[in-house]
Amino acid sequence: MAISTATKAATDALAANRAPVSVNAQEVHRWLQSFTWDFEKNRTKYPTKYKMANDTKEQFKLIAKEYARMESVKDERQFGSLQDVLARVDAAKRVHPKWNETMKLVSNFLEVGEYNAIAATGMLWDSATAPEQKNGYLAQTLDEIRHTNQCGYVNYYFSKNGQDPAGHNDARRTRTIGPLWKGMKRVFSDGFISGDAVECSINLQLVGEACFTNPLIVAVTEWAAANGDEITPTVFLSIETDELRHMANGYQTVVSIANDEAASKYLNTDLNNAFWTQQKYFTPVLGMAFEYGSHFKVEPWVKTWNRWVYEDWGGIWIGRLGKYGVQSPASLRDAKKDAYWAHHDLFLIAYALWPTGFFRLTLPTAEEAEWFEANYPGWHEHYGKIYEEWRARGCEDPNSGFIPLMWFIENNHPIYIDRVSQVPFCPSLCKGASTLRVHELNGKKHSFSDDWGERMWLSEPERYECQNIFEQYEGRELSEVIAELHGVRSDGKTLIAQPHTDKDGKLWTLDDIKKLNCVFADPLKSL
Amino acid sequence: MSKSSNAYGAGIMAKNGKAFSDEYFAEENQVFHESNEVVLVLKKSDEINVIVDEYLLGDHADENPTLVVEDRAGYWWLKATGKIEVDCAEVAEILGKNFSVYDFLVDVSSTIGRAYTLGDTFTITSELMGLDTKLKDLQS
Repeated sequence: MAISTATKAATDALAANRAPVSVNAQEVHRWLQSFTWDFEKNRTKYPTKYKMANDTKEQFKLIAKEYARMESVKDERQFGSLQDVLARVDAAKRVHPKWNETMKLVSNFLEVGEYNAIAATGMLWDSATAPEQKNGYLAQTLDEIRHTNQCGYVNYYFSKNGQDPAGHNDARRTRTIGPLWKGMKRVFSDGFISGDAVECSINLQLVGEACFTNPLIVAVTEWAAANGDEITPTVFLSIETDELRHMANGYQTVVSIANDEAASKYLNTDLNNAFWTQQKYFTPVLGMAFEYGSHFKVEPWVKTWNRWVYEDWGGIWIGRLGKYGVQSPASLRDAKKDAYWAHHDLFLIAYALWPTGFFRLTLPTAEEAEWFEANYPGWHEHYGKIYEEWRARGCEDPNSGFIPLMWFIENNHPIYIDRVSQVPFCPSLCKGASTLRVHELNGKKHSFSDDWGERMWLSEPERYECQNIFEQYEGRELSEVIAELHGVRSDGKTLIAQPHTDKDGKLWTLDDIKKLNCVFADPLKSL
Repeated sequence: MSKSSNAYGAGIMAKNGKAFSDEYFAEENQVFHESNEVVLVLKKSDEINVIVDEYLLGDHADENPTLVVEDRAGYWWLKATGKIEVDCAEVAEILGKNFSVYDFLVDVSSTIGRAYTLGDTFTITSELMGLDTKLKDLQS
């Protein structure tokens, strides 16, 4: 058959100049830049008060092919490990029972953060006008989808292969009962996707990812390994291999606005608000998860925080930007106080409210109490004695008729919820940077725990209207709320949450809770 | 334990109890202090273990004597003053197989500092890339 003139021309040309069998990815990246990408005049649905520059770079020179190849290798390694060797050595059953409970909380709550980050980075993709910056945000959107699946898979893997699956297997419907849920939604959802697009980037990328993913996703793997958990390091360190690009996206967002006059007016306030928003929740919750949710301790949480947050994020990211007018957040002093004490304050409340959880908590043992006192001088006098009293009253035993929430009421230590962060606090007991202040707006009272959240509320009160758990459940009996929100195991009566991890210990049931006649009351009503 | 100021347990981290809290709460430590260091977290793997042993702590150990590498269970924690660089073309020769900078990124778990790629090279630097120093593209 005769070939066409065009085909012959192409064949002759290829004979003279052989086509390359492959092209270097970075050459493709350079070639892509030769196209006329012009997004400068694009309208966005998500405007920002800052002007983002049109020539911002993406630091890793990603192209779709290499991105997809890289991510598939990561998944092959991760799922290969989980489904092969870790299944064969029964890794999920080797995890210390306390840490097994901690991962119910950590992986499920991180899943929510990753899910909201999908929307956040989609929004940033729409807002940016620099082609490379858009490319970086787009890859991040895909990463966040991967991470959401990975976090869900950790809970699935633990529930399928591990011990005491209740909580791992149905966290999505039981996680909303307790007081930790709404704070997590504030930091992981509202902080990432509400308001000015660049402010969201500062919350998500510059603070959430560049700062707090290091303790949350990196340091946590060391605690996991120390407590027999090889599953979490396998997945979380793989998640974090995408986070470095997200940190770079956050840095490049700052680069893109560095020469905008608005930056000098707004950036330090936005950074302070983002830092406080993120630390207000992450600092106490992570510290509590690490220290009170582990049997084997790696180091005091305050040291972990000091390394990753204060010295490295503070010095290497924020400190280096000083000559561009970026300052230490004004809230840093209070954040440091929180890093030392707030997780102890939070555990006191979390343990008091243990029936509302979807995981089991345990009181510190005598050996752990010694560790706490050695690393946090004054811990025993303030917290340790309270735990001794609770234990003496039989708080772990359903026959005792005592949950520690009753102790708070008997001793007139009301628990409030900070309206902005939704983090619970007890002003008469806390040693972190929380003090009670109350405002009234349109006939409704709002409690706050700190200057920084109070300021945010005063400038945008309509943004912080979320009901807290005391308002939501006011007048309702505790066991009724737990039953309604599915906080029970498959027998329909035994609570998922328990105040111990002793496999021989008695488990509390809805009937045990009902006998206590605990009724939710809004403490603000009595002020 | 390493005596380098870049070590995981250096400075205030070597202190405990009241000695730690006194320095932690000291007035001069209530603001951030600019740091010229960089931190790299490498997920342990077949290739990364070779890169750490034979490249960073092997042939290239003299290039940056401030580099500290510590074993933190599932990952290697690296800290250095100035920058850390990995030439993946050279790593490919050590490994005896193709190994691009994107293969390296498969196991880079975290960075504190400005990390970027150019050709076969991965760099993390304390320089403010995009502000003080222009980010370059591959030249033809």
